[in-house]
This record gives sequence, C-alpha cells and structure tokens, in this order.
Amino acid sequence: MHDTVSFEIQGIPSVFLASTEFVEAATAQAEALGLPDVKRVFVQHPIQDATDAEMRMKAEAVFDSILGSLID
Amino acid sequence: MAAMQILDPTDERVPVKRELTPRPEHITGTVGFLDISKPRGNVLLDRLEELFHERLPDVEVRRYAKPTFTKPAPEDLRRKIAEECGFVIEALAD
Amino acid sequence: MATETALRPFSLTDSDGTERRFPTGRPALLCFVHEDCATCQLSIPLIEQVHRAFGGAADVWAIGQDTPGNALLIEQHGLTLPMLDDDALGVSFAYGLDTVPSIFLTDGDGRELRSFVGFGREDWRGVVGELASMTALAEPEVAWDAFPESRPGCGSRSVEPGIHERLVAESEGSPLRARRVEIGDHDDVHEFMYDQGLTDGLPVIPPTPERVLRMLGGTKRDSQEIVAVVPPNMAPATVEKIAINAVMAGCKPEYLPVVLTAVEAMCTDEFNIHGVSATTMGATPMVLINGPIRDKIGLNYKLGALGTGHRANAAIGRAIRLVLRNVGGGRPGGTERSTLSSPSKYTLCFAEWEERAPWEPYHVEHGFKAEDSVVTLFAATGGPTMIVDQTSRDARQIGGSIGMVLESTAHPKGHGASDTFLVLCPEHLDTLQTNGWTKDELRARIQEVTSRPVRELLQDGESGAGIPPSMFGADGPTEEQLERRIPKFADPSSIHIVVAGSDAGKFSSIFQGWATGPRGSQIVSRKIEEA
Repeated sequence: MHDTVSFEIQGIPSVFLASTEFVEAATAQAEALGLPDVKRVFVQHPIQDATDAEMRMKAEAVFDSILGSLID
Repeated sequence: MAAMQILDPTDERVPVKRELTPRPEHITGTVGFLDISKPRGNVLLDRLEELFHERLPDVEVRRYAKPTFTKPAPEDLRRKIAEECGFVIEALAD
Repeated sequence: MATETALRPFSLTDSDGTERRFPTGRPALLCFVHEDCATCQLSIPLIEQVHRAFGGAADVWAIGQDTPGNALLIEQHGLTLPMLDDDALGVSFAYGLDTVPSIFLTDGDGRELRSFVGFGREDWRGVVGELASMTALAEPEVAWDAFPESRPGCGSRSVEPGIHERLVAESEGSPLRARRVEIGDHDDVHEFMYDQGLTDGLPVIPPTPERVLRMLGGTKRDSQEIVAVVPPNMAPATVEKIAINAVMAGCKPEYLPVVLTAVEAMCTDEFNIHGVSATTMGATPMVLINGPIRDKIGLNYKLGALGTGHRANAAIGRAIRLVLRNVGGGRPGGTERSTLSSPSKYTLCFAEWEERAPWEPYHVEHGFKAEDSVVTLFAATGGPTMIVDQTSRDARQIGGSIGMVLESTAHPKGHGASDTFLVLCPEHLDTLQTNGWTKDELRARIQEVTSRPVRELLQDGESGAGIPPSMFGADGPTEEQLERRIPKFADPSSIHIVVAGSDAGKFSSIFQGWATGPRGSQIVSRKIEEA
C-alpha cells in the first residue's frame, strides 16, 4: 500500500486491490501511512487456490468498483 | 496507534491531514497497473486489462511490475509510473 | 489529620483484569507504590497484612506505577490484595504525587481521613486503628518493632522529567488547545510537514505537545492570550500558536518573549505586514534587538552577525516568518507576490553591538531606556548590500563612500528615498571616530555627497528610471528646477545606523527599505516586557 499512498500524495488517483482477508490489515496500514481514506477494493478470497476462470470472474466482479474509486 | 502527535501550527480553518487527490469525472489517458508480483495477481490484471479495452477503448493501459512484493517499489519505477500514468491500480495483495 | 477532602474518582484495572472504581462505597486505603523503591518494598508486606485483616469490609488497594514492576511485587510478596495498574500515571498525576509510597485512608464516599508519604510507623498504627474502628474488625498482629520508625519515600514516576511534561500535555488542565495532528506510524513527520506546506522549504522541528509545553515555559503570558491578528487571513495568533511555530523554527523557550513581541510589532497597522508581504518588490521584516536580552539569549552582534550559525539570530527571525505563513496564511504564490524574493525571507534577525560605539544605541535614540530590551522591525526590500572601502582615512572620506553606495541602492537616480538601515562595521566606525563624528554628522555627510541636481535625476534615453519630465508640466522643467539639488533620502532621519560585525574588516552593509507613508510600512519598535 506504500506505493498506492505515494502516488495518491503526488496527485495521481490510485486504488489498492487486495483479497477480502486483508480488510483489517488494510485499514491499519492506511492509518499508519497517514492516509486513512486511501481507496481500496477487495477481491473475494481465495486467491492462490482459484482457477484462472475463477480469477477472471473475480476481476469482473470488482471492475465497476475500481472505476468508481478512480473518478468522482 | 499513532507514533507521534504534533500540534497544528495553522489557524485551523483547514484540516492538516493528508487528503485524497481530487478525482476527475471520467477516466482518460493512461492507467498504470502495478503488479506487486504475488502469484496469480497477473491473471486478475490480465482480465482487468481486457475489460478496460472493451469498456473504455480510448484509455491506454500500461503494465508494470515490482521486483518483489516484500518492499515498496524502487524509486525509478515509481518515477516512471508517475510520469507515464494519470491513474494507478496496484494489485493484488493477499 | 482529617481533611474531609473528597479525592478524585478514578477507574483502574487490577492484575486480574477487573475494573476497580473509586470511591467504592466502603472505607478505602489507597497505597501508591513503585517496585523500584526500597520504602515501597518495606511497606508492601504490611499493606498485604492490612488487606487480609480488613478486606472483608474495606478496600485496601495497591496502586502500582509500572506494569512489569507491579507483577514483580505480586510475585515477590505473594500478594492477594488488588494491585491496580497506573502505568499510564493518570491517577498518580491527578493526585499530584511527588513521592511513593503515598497512602490515603478514605471513607466510603472517597473523603480523605488521613494521608502520609514514605514509611511512618506511627502513621501506620493510626491507619490500622482507624480501619479497625470503621470496620469493627480485629486489628492484625503486626510485628511493629520489626519496622523502622520512619523511612523517606522515593520519587513518584509521575514527576520524572519528560514523563511529567507528557502528563501535563495530556491533562484536562493543559494549556494546550491547538488541534492535535496524528502522524501515522509509517508516515514520516518531516515529509508530512513538507507536504502540508508548513515549512519555508527548510526542515522544521516537529511541534510535539511536550516541546510546545516546554516552549510555553519561556513566558508567563497565558497560552490562550491573543498576541496579534495576522494578515492576510486575519487569524488570531495566540501565545500557543506562536509557541508552536517557534518550536518549528528551532527556538529555545527563552527566545519566546522576543518572538511574541516581534509578532506584535509585525502585526501593527503601522508596520503593515500585509503590504510588506504582498509587494512584488519583495519586502521582509528585518528584526533588530537591543538591550540586555541580547546577551541573555546569545544573540550575535559581532563576527558574522548577519550570517549563519547562531541559533537565536536564526530561529527568532524564522519564527515570525513561520507565524506569517502558517497562522496568517501568507504564502508565496498566494498573497505573497514578490518577483524574485530573497533568502532574507528565511530569516533576518540580528542585534546591535551597543557597547562598541560612543553614541546612543538604536533603542535609546528612539526613546527607550538603555536597560530596556527592545525589538525593532524594519521592512527591508534589499540587502545586505556591501560597502567596500578599505582605504578611507577620515570621517569625511568614509562618510562619502558610504553615501555613494547608499545612493545606488534601488537605483542611483531614485532620490527622495525612504528609510534605509546602515549596519556599520567597527572598522568603519573607528574611521568615523578619527574625527569624533556623531550619527547626525554622518547623516548630513550622506545627504551632502548624494545631493544631485534634478537635471541628473531625470528619466532619459540613458536610463528610463528617475523623475518623469511630465512632473514639470507641458513646458517642462525650468532652469531653476533643473538646478535644484535633491539628496538621496527624503530626510536625514530616514537613515538608520547601528553598529555590528567583527573588529576586523572594512565592510559595512545596507538594508534598503520599502515605501513609507500610509500605504507603505513604518519602522516599529516595542519593548520586550518579559526580558
């Protein structure tokens, strides 16, 4: 998330993608980095055990949220 | 828990805190995908790239990858992305 | 002794994780202790005994001042009494403890019946006796003779330096009211402060509550007193807000009275800091200090007085600029429009070497007593411009050289000019003193050597600067008008003179001023009351 925050601070709308297992850790990291509102979108766990077809579906599921996080 | 606290030296009419950068109405120009290089992330990003081509054909997608997910991206990679992209998606942490 | 004072209610957790609230509704014995204290170690077995005897009808508590130490006490002494954790020292601080052990006997409503510090055999006998009568329980069998008659206590952790300041900063009665800004664990406080636009481009010291509290110790003024209203935002600058910026600038607490007075002077209508900051000409307050405060706080007025390396000079000048920036909201590109600006906007502060000259120092010249400490602000647009003259032998010569360089400030044809500040180096002063000249004689010489006929001061093909011929009407200037001589300065009193610098070197310096008059800036001097 360091990188996402660093781009955001430079004025580049950014978003961080993580698995749903990461929700609390993401909040803690966002606060620690001084940007609690940094945009993040969560992808349904599991990641490592998902098939390619399942991964593609997960991508489709979050596409609109990703777009929404980058625009007003 | 915050490590440090400072007192606000200003007249306090505006909060002293890091803010999200204002966002435009539409995505235009170039979107950078920063792959943090954990396994399987590339599959997700591949599909996202396809979706961008389908739904926002005028937007250019550029792909970048960190050498390792264990550290923040190296300075020159960050600089390159910042120069080339108007938006960044960093993926995929698990 | 019965004081009938109700002790402050509190809530702490004991070593079992149980929340304990005071007052308890029953007689209570509060025993503040610290493991690393021999007198506490002496007292603890007795406290445990008292608990075992009266615990059925009274609350006998140990209140330990550090978590690991508390655990050690329980282990070392096989304690069964509740050991409350005051590691955060909130209760110890609220109770104003200096010493441990501190023992308080109270009734069920928390009113204090007896208290003492350290170890006192008779004090303990009294406590035990009173608990027996309050609870109607039997006194324990105490081997009183095994105890010493008395022992002094140790320092309470809540008054250790550093810790005490933190507790004051966090307490309800704290003089700090400014909004607190949390810095993330993985954020960098310096990058944060830069990104928030809080610096002048150089790093600043993060104004933590402890540092600001320490800074406030440099003044007796109330932290919430409004010192000035700062343009362009017209924001009130309290003592606290100025202290915060003073910490950032690198000030020591003893500089604060100077900074407070300088901010007051800066925000007067006469000084017109709004105009000073906004002008494209790029003006900044030059801060001059006179009086005993110079040596008290280590201001430099000798070698390198206008340069780097002296904390008081650097930090005081910087502090007022940070107040302007952060409280007033004046930032370059915003209301600050100076074309090129100058490094003087980082800091410009020095003192006069009053003792070096035979004449009155600046502040005495302007109506203050010699023993007053005074801050003077002058809106400087340029400088330091150097006067190089290593060969003049007498007053008339050196005065002539000084005048020639002064004439060229801003523009040689710009006569009738407003204030200038001449910082005369000791060697040039000595050359003046070969003829025993006063400041007024130097001023007269400057005006004499810079007097030129209007003819030479007109705008022309050689230089478009100067007096516009249109001033003289359709027929242009008469011969008489052309011959009239105009000195560089509107009035000799516009030439301000102070002595500073090392004894070696024949190089004086000039700070040129901005416009005076109603839309310009006037020099403002203020006595530092707390000096």
